[in-house]
Amino acid sequence: MEIAKPVFYLLLFPGFLFTGILGLFFMWVDRKVTALIQSRMGPPWYQCYADIGKLLYKQTIIPAGSNAFWFVLSPLIGLAGITIAATLIWLENSVPHVSFVGDLIVLLYLLILPSLSMIFAGSVSNNPFSAVGASREMSMVVAYELPYIIAIFTLILKVKSILISDIILYQAESGVLIGSLSGVIAFIVVFTCMQAKLTYLPFDIPEAESEIIGGTLAEYSGVLLALFKLTNAIMLVTLPLFLITLFLGGFNINSWQNIVYLVIKYVVILTLIILVKSIHPRLRIDQAIKFFWGPVTILAITGFILALIGV
Amino acid sequence: MNQKELKKRLTELEDKLIGIEEPRENCIYLNCESQNSFAVNKFLFEELRLRFVIATGIDAEDCFEVIYHYANDRAGSMVNLKAFIRNRKKPAIDSIATFLPAAEWIEREIHDILGIDFNNHPDMRRLILADDWPEGVYPLRKDMDSKIAQGWTCKTSIRPSKKSPARRTIPMKKPILAVGPFHPLQEEMEFFQLATDGEIVTDIDMRISYNHRGIEKISESLQFDQVPFLVSRICGICSASHPLAYVQAVEELAGIEPPVRALYVRTIINELERIHSHVLWFGLAGHFIGYDTVFMWAWKYRETVLDLLEEITGNRNNYGNVTVGGCREDIPDELKPRIIKDINFVEKKTNMLIKAVDDDPILHARLKGVGVLSYEDAVKFAVTGPTARASGIDIDVRRDESYAAYDQLDWDVITRPEGDVFAKVVVRLLEVVESCKIIKQAVQKIPDGPVAMKVKQIPPGEAIGRVEAPRGETFHYVRSDGGNRPVRHKVRAPSYVNVPSFKASCIGEHIADVTITLAAVDPCYSCTERLAVVDGENKVMHDYESLLRMSREKMDRISKDLGVEKLKLEDL
Repeated sequence: MEIAKPVFYLLLFPGFLFTGILGLFFMWVDRKVTALIQSRMGPPWYQCYADIGKLLYKQTIIPAGSNAFWFVLSPLIGLAGITIAATLIWLENSVPHVSFVGDLIVLLYLLILPSLSMIFAGSVSNNPFSAVGASREMSMVVAYELPYIIAIFTLILKVKSILISDIILYQAESGVLIGSLSGVIAFIVVFTCMQAKLTYLPFDIPEAESEIIGGTLAEYSGVLLALFKLTNAIMLVTLPLFLITLFLGGFNINSWQNIVYLVIKYVVILTLIILVKSIHPRLRIDQAIKFFWGPVTILAITGFILALIGV
Repeated sequence: MNQKELKKRLTELEDKLIGIEEPRENCIYLNCESQNSFAVNKFLFEELRLRFVIATGIDAEDCFEVIYHYANDRAGSMVNLKAFIRNRKKPAIDSIATFLPAAEWIEREIHDILGIDFNNHPDMRRLILADDWPEGVYPLRKDMDSKIAQGWTCKTSIRPSKKSPARRTIPMKKPILAVGPFHPLQEEMEFFQLATDGEIVTDIDMRISYNHRGIEKISESLQFDQVPFLVSRICGICSASHPLAYVQAVEELAGIEPPVRALYVRTIINELERIHSHVLWFGLAGHFIGYDTVFMWAWKYRETVLDLLEEITGNRNNYGNVTVGGCREDIPDELKPRIIKDINFVEKKTNMLIKAVDDDPILHARLKGVGVLSYEDAVKFAVTGPTARASGIDIDVRRDESYAAYDQLDWDVITRPEGDVFAKVVVRLLEVVESCKIIKQAVQKIPDGPVAMKVKQIPPGEAIGRVEAPRGETFHYVRSDGGNRPVRHKVRAPSYVNVPSFKASCIGEHIADVTITLAAVDPCYSCTERLAVVDGENKVMHDYESLLRMSREKMDRISKDLGVEKLKLEDL
């Protein structure tokens, strides 16, 4: 039975299935709220599930001239990475003693995997649009990882540990990390990078439908496209939860009260994401890189220095 | 240059011309033989600095005519150079595209439809005819066998040979990004090929005419009063401007002045059309740079204008209101308060959009300095409308050669010197505000009286109608032989000269910027393509009956497969 437990965690609850279903629901929330902002009706609540369901029985086409092995593997890599990351974050917060040394670093790596899978997928698709999408995704990863890591270092500096359980414990004892000035700055930086990780406006440059018709995803269809959509859905849950863990004192699902707290925290972050998404046009790739290496990195370094002097 | 100076300068040309006519004030026709046309054109464009509008190719039975139309915007007049090509067997004339890039497309088009060769033309590929149209068949020649046209269907196996200049494949060595024929960026069919070096576009080529309908050819078979309904279907958005330009040409031909009230009705409808077109474009521009919220909001406000148009004319598009000698429907007086109220609403919302554009730093970053069309390039490509006005060219047919009731109202022409996409946004939005101003004044000033008059006959002759459509100057040339059908009806929509300017504005830009630059001239492909129809190697592949038969056979086959009894008309 001991072996079955991690499998259960990963595949059913709180991993793939649960987070996936939740993610698709919040994807619908995103679409509905965006629609209301734009004075449209928006889709019915089951739209995202229907999309996935439809894609699952559609034909999957592997384009001629592409590397079929990597073409199929790429979406799986991203999905596997984000599923493990999601499971880890849920468990770290709700089950005691799962933390291990360096789990924060592991999480950071796991969260890059979806972007990497997009780069692989774009590179092997044998399509100029996908290739441009992949090169843009690559530039974006290089651009936002720098301030992102600096902001995470700010946290590590404050907590003096690379254990997620320590970060949660620290916040339980001496107040949430967003409570300090350096914490606020680090939060803003990580939030901005998160928008880019989600490839949401103004950073949906690698997908840019009206320029490169979906970029990396241009050649994907059927089940493989469904996997990418699921990856996105799980990311939409995982990344805000990661943010809550790091800055807003983590969460717990052992009582109704705690679940309500979690939902409030999550909805606040989701609302922020949707608002930023709805009121911005898309940046150009060079502008996005300048933005992340310029103002955002400077902000992140300022936060780091403030944390050094203990503010 | 005013008209007097112009006439004085034209006398310098005397030895090259065979005649100067001035059938009406502000409209001069110069006649010359084909071998002199190059020199005269060069003089008109480079010395007199007239604006090239378009060229019209005509099959005049005994010879071919190519009429080069130039506009003298300061005086609001037209100068037309008629070049006669006497050799019917092998018609040829010198290309003027060598010094005037604006003429490149129209020379390709005239070659397609009349078979006139243009010597030294830089790029003589087909422009509007389909790839599998047989070589040596020219649809606008009067002696074309119309049977060829009737049964033509598209079959890719029959095409001009690989070596034929008609083939439109474009040789490019660099990686090519294809924007089109169907692309989320644009709603209509067009095909841009971008040669790219990383994110930078190094070369660009375009082909159009996926949706060619042969409007000019159809027009020759309709009566004068039927044509407005046809030309209003050139484009849903410009469906007030095209008929008005045509009607003005015919009215000029017949020498009639429509009632004043009709002029005001025309003004109001045309300005409503401008508002709806500009707001539509603004929404789309937002969509192209990923700003879908602006897209939805702009289209929501546009809905008000469409409702108004529906209330006045009965249609949201294709109004069919203008007719030779006036208008078909009047604006009822009880509608006036509603027009004023709705226009005030649109004006308020437009001002809000202007403020939003002005305040948004990302919009500035994305649009300023992007896709710059310099003043010199704008003159060379002879662009019109907001595209020209955003490059600092101060032209507007509504003011220069005033028609309808524009000269009795108080409004301004908006220009910007920068030439980038941001300037085009600003020009269009400010023009919406001006249009609101015009409509409100027109509604208040509109006099009582009839809106239409009887027109008896259209005498022989030729005339030109020009209207400032939302995208720029719409040009219609009509020639009559005294019968009840036009002998030749040439349409030049503004996109026809605006779109080719991508050559000057797109190369060296980012892919992300090229898409918005291509969209910034507000391209309208249904306007750009108007003409065509045939089979490969002159044989009729399928006529209407055989297609109908095939369709019925397939229906029968499907019913049989499904085990359904054949449906009979009586059962329904």
